Amino acid sequence: MVHNANQIALYFAAYPREEAIASIVDHLKKFWEHRMRQQIIQYVAKGGAGLHELVVEAVKRIK
Amino acid sequence: MRADYHLPLRPGTNVAMINAMAHVVVTEGLVVENFVNERCDLAAFEQWRAFILEQRNSPEALETVTGVPAGDIRAAARLYATGGNAAIYYGLGVTEHSQGSTMVIGMANLAMATGNLGRRGVGVNPLRGQNNVQGSCDIGSFPHEFSGYRHVSDDAVRHSFERAWQVPLEREPGLRISNMLEAACDGTFKGLYAQGEDIVQSDPNTQHVAAGLAAIECVVVQDLFLNETASYAHVFLPGSSFLEKDGTFILAACNGRAMRRRRKGSFVRGKGRFMITEFIPTDERTTERFPLILTTGRILSQYNVGAQTRRTENNVWHHEDVLEIRPWDAENRGIRDGDLVSLSSRAGEITLPAQISERMQPGVVYTTFHHAMTGANVVTTEFADWSTSCPEYKVTAVEVRPAKRLSVWQEHYKETKRLTTQIVSQSGAD
Repeated sequence: MVHNANQIALYFAAYPREEAIASIVDHLKKFWEHRMRQQIIQYVAKGGAGLHELVVEAVKRIK
Repeated sequence: MRADYHLPLRPGTNVAMINAMAHVVVTEGLVVENFVNERCDLAAFEQWRAFILEQRNSPEALETVTGVPAGDIRAAARLYATGGNAAIYYGLGVTEHSQGSTMVIGMANLAMATGNLGRRGVGVNPLRGQNNVQGSCDIGSFPHEFSGYRHVSDDAVRHSFERAWQVPLEREPGLRISNMLEAACDGTFKGLYAQGEDIVQSDPNTQHVAAGLAAIECVVVQDLFLNETASYAHVFLPGSSFLEKDGTFILAACNGRAMRRRRKGSFVRGKGRFMITEFIPTDERTTERFPLILTTGRILSQYNVGAQTRRTENNVWHHEDVLEIRPWDAENRGIRDGDLVSLSSRAGEITLPAQISERMQPGVVYTTFHHAMTGANVVTTEFADWSTSCPEYKVTAVEVRPAKRLSVWQEHYKETKRLTTQIVSQSGAD
């Protein structure tokens, strides 16, 4: 989960920060199943060790 | 048919190559401005152009990454941009990288920049890996889309399908195969119905696939033959071949034609959108312990996992998987043509015969995955494309050594196969 989330972040990191975060949120909503999103939300809540900072910010914005 | 250029790039460097070609197109004034101005999102184009113009994307800067002389890349890019109609045809392997999606985007960028889209004789054309992959995609077998590539989260779309099918539908995307197996190991994925797909042999990291299947409460396999996945099935159902039923195969080309008819003069999304394609090397790196790169693939005479073709006379042409290895790499390891060798990665180890081959690059070895007993996917890893989760079959760090016997996994496989395919007698069942 951490590895794949970081891969997604590295792809969108080429874009301006806000655009990158919005794109990561969109990607996680469109392609990650509900329980996977819940897992990463919980992981970030516990500190999100090893996650790219763009992922951490994006996950905080997932409703 | 004649090829003016062959660009033998190192495995895992496709995106570097396509960026280098696009750099040539942009810096040498080969962009078809009319096409871009009329058909593409100009803000996205300018963003992409600024990126691709950077010197680090030049053929010269990327020569050491791709292993391809900059002059050849420049010449090939010029020919693609100026040689008349130019079509890109790509095989399944392009997607089997951690940056597979990025590479497909990169090819679309290049085709848009040179105006090679939207008319006969041009385009970006995937040669799909099986005869009806395109049809399966079109009818909505993705875990996140209904028929016609419409996302499940779109309320209007979902309600239209609910009305048509008379059932409530989920607004959330489902799991992909690799995620299913993870969830199975976590105990949250309980049932699987596999039709015409042999994931034990075809998917990466066989031992992980097997562990996932073993953890599932109910596995149903429906297939023409007792394939490898059937060994983990609680229920096995017979299947019908295409010769025994009615139906339609859809080719990517047919889909493309239909799309063009509907969307003449514009893309499905409206304006074509250039996307930035930063080259990011895979995390699967060679090390002192695993200094070679393994790339796997298929040959003409066997189809995929061989469930159908291994039962035919095709075996005359390909009766076993072999490991192709360059003479220098073989000699360094004391390996001769035909020797049994151990092929190991951080995921697992198998043994198979070596075949000395001049067609391999230094440091690269190749094998097929047609024979279950070989277990090529015992060696491949769980690394996958960032967007699609398509496994990275083309890049696995490995070591090759002389061997005298089957690997532990192969011995285990032989015994498991014997136990799971024997017919229980009436008295035994009692």
